[in-house]
Amino acid sequence: MKNRLKVLRAERDWSQAELAGRLDVSRQAVNAIETGKHDPSLPLAFRIARLFDMRIEDIFDDGDVA
Amino acid sequence: MIWKPKTSLGPGEARTRERNIRQWLYIGLAAVIGGVIGIATGFFDQGDGNLFAGDWESLKLPPSLAIGVAVLLLAGFVVLPLSGFRMIDDYKREQNYIAFTGGCVAVLAGYPVWAVLHAGGWTPPPHAFGVFALAYVAMLLSFLYARWRL
Repeated sequence: MKNRLKVLRAERDWSQAELAGRLDVSRQAVNAIETGKHDPSLPLAFRIARLFDMRIEDIFDDGDVA
Repeated sequence: MIWKPKTSLGPGEARTRERNIRQWLYIGLAAVIGGVIGIATGFFDQGDGNLFAGDWESLKLPPSLAIGVAVLLLAGFVVLPLSGFRMIDDYKREQNYIAFTGGCVAVLAGYPVWAVLHAGGWTPPPHAFGVFALAYVAMLLSFLYARWRL
């Protein structure tokens, strides 16, 4: 699943470790999400959305045009 | 830079650092428990048995030491993994699921395969430690595969 996590993180000048700590996950998890290797769980997706004050669908794109 | 002074850490980086320290403490504790079990059983082994050969009658440990090692094994194989599961995030939990699945599949497939190979005269009969080792190695390999792929 594509996402804008890396861009959003860069806009705030946060390292992966900084974002990981704010989300209470490992740095490896942030890296895996950014590179599209891992899709976050729904609770984590909500935490990410709240952290950036955005909607989940504005951050994550499953490529499905409904 | 691998290490930064604490004052330069953001709030998230500080929490990540604490998480990493907890993780290394966990790994260190697991290594100590494993080391104590290995040294104790190796040093005080009173028999001629071999776990891999399955000759249980020849395995001998002092009774009190056996109880101590059993407690450590419970700590290493029950308490530590369960507490570790509470510490890890979704991503690492997924890796652990793959590892456990690999271990389970290895036993489900490995035991009957071993049994028929024994029936055909190719291998010694299946025994408990062999099945345990099969599960353990398969779990480890599955975990490494998951870390590489995910």
